[in-house]
Amino acid sequence: MEAGDISKGKPGFGANKGVSVLDFVLRIVAFVCTLGSAIAMGTTNETLPFFTQFIRFRARFNDLPTFTFFVVANSVASAYFILSLPLSIFHIVKSGAQNSRIVMVILDTVVLALVTAGASASAAIVYLAHKGNTRTNWFSICQQFNSFCERISGSLIGSFGAVVVLIILILLSAVALSRRP
Amino acid sequence: MKSGDSTTINVQDGATPKGKGPVPEAPLPSPGGWKKGAAIFDFVLRLGAMVSALAAAAAMGTSDQTLPFFTQFFQFQASYDDLPTFQFFVVAMAIVAGYLVLSLPFSIVCIVRPHSVGPRLLLLVLDTVALTLATAAGAAAAAIVYLAHNGNPNTNWLAICQQFGDFCQKVSGAVVASFVSVVALVTLVVVSAIALRRG
Repeated sequence: MEAGDISKGKPGFGANKGVSVLDFVLRIVAFVCTLGSAIAMGTTNETLPFFTQFIRFRARFNDLPTFTFFVVANSVASAYFILSLPLSIFHIVKSGAQNSRIVMVILDTVVLALVTAGASASAAIVYLAHKGNTRTNWFSICQQFNSFCERISGSLIGSFGAVVVLIILILLSAVALSRRP
Repeated sequence: MKSGDSTTINVQDGATPKGKGPVPEAPLPSPGGWKKGAAIFDFVLRLGAMVSALAAAAAMGTSDQTLPFFTQFFQFQASYDDLPTFQFFVVAMAIVAGYLVLSLPFSIVCIVRPHSVGPRLLLLVLDTVALTLATAAGAAAAAIVYLAHNGNPNTNWLAICQQFGDFCQKVSGAVVASFVSVVALVTLVVVSAIALRRG
């Protein structure tokens, strides 16, 4: 066997190398998205210059347990993306790997469920903060806390972007697994 | 080598060689044996996920409660369509249940042809999308149910479960059923990924 054969990799897995490179790039994108969301939600702190009798004059993310879960879930997801980069690089080098790709699919699915749960639970609370609900006498808090509301709404975008990226990552791993050269 | 000592090979024309020489190979069991088992497990799990998703949608959709009395400040009727999140939950779980029913034929195709890649890959991708939808619906409804049970003093949102006990119970049960279907869908994705191996 010539030394040149090793660098070419197995025949028929050339497209898998492209898939693995795309996987690596998307992982970095997802890391940035989840880190941005966690930071944007975690640094919310709005203090009103006045106060009234009935409403608090300070709003932070840990006033609502759902937002705390959101920050934790996005932090865990961004740590996972960083830690899975070496595995992604291994798949670029060894395109025919199967078992490690299955491990990556399993971990990606679990992280997908976690990030989706955090993002959609926070979306429900953000919707409630914007609109309130007359039937349950829950008032919307966005009229008082404008910049807090804008922050929490914007941090959802990164998280939902990471959800889409995760679905594409699972699809890419499945396509790479299913190749029959 | 002397030409006189050349070996002669007796070729019997038309006669099939007797199987006394080399040991006849027994037919190997098809390496897709475990793939068929995985496909059957996938089918059964799909049925379970479908039942769970349907139960979640039905429990949330029929969660009406009317209190026998009323007070000045609170509504005396609670239904799922009072909260848009619950409406989204019913629609999303119904879509997931409908998808799981329609994916049963593909699962049967995977049982019949364990080595086929196309149906399995399609099921994996669609299961991932269904998983996302079910998780989104379940988590959003869970956030609202948590708020209904505990309220939030920081935003002056009061817990409504003290008044509407039956409504809260039904709604919480629906959220639990949706999380059961989420777990089933995660397992389905994992089983499909493992069965996509080259064997």
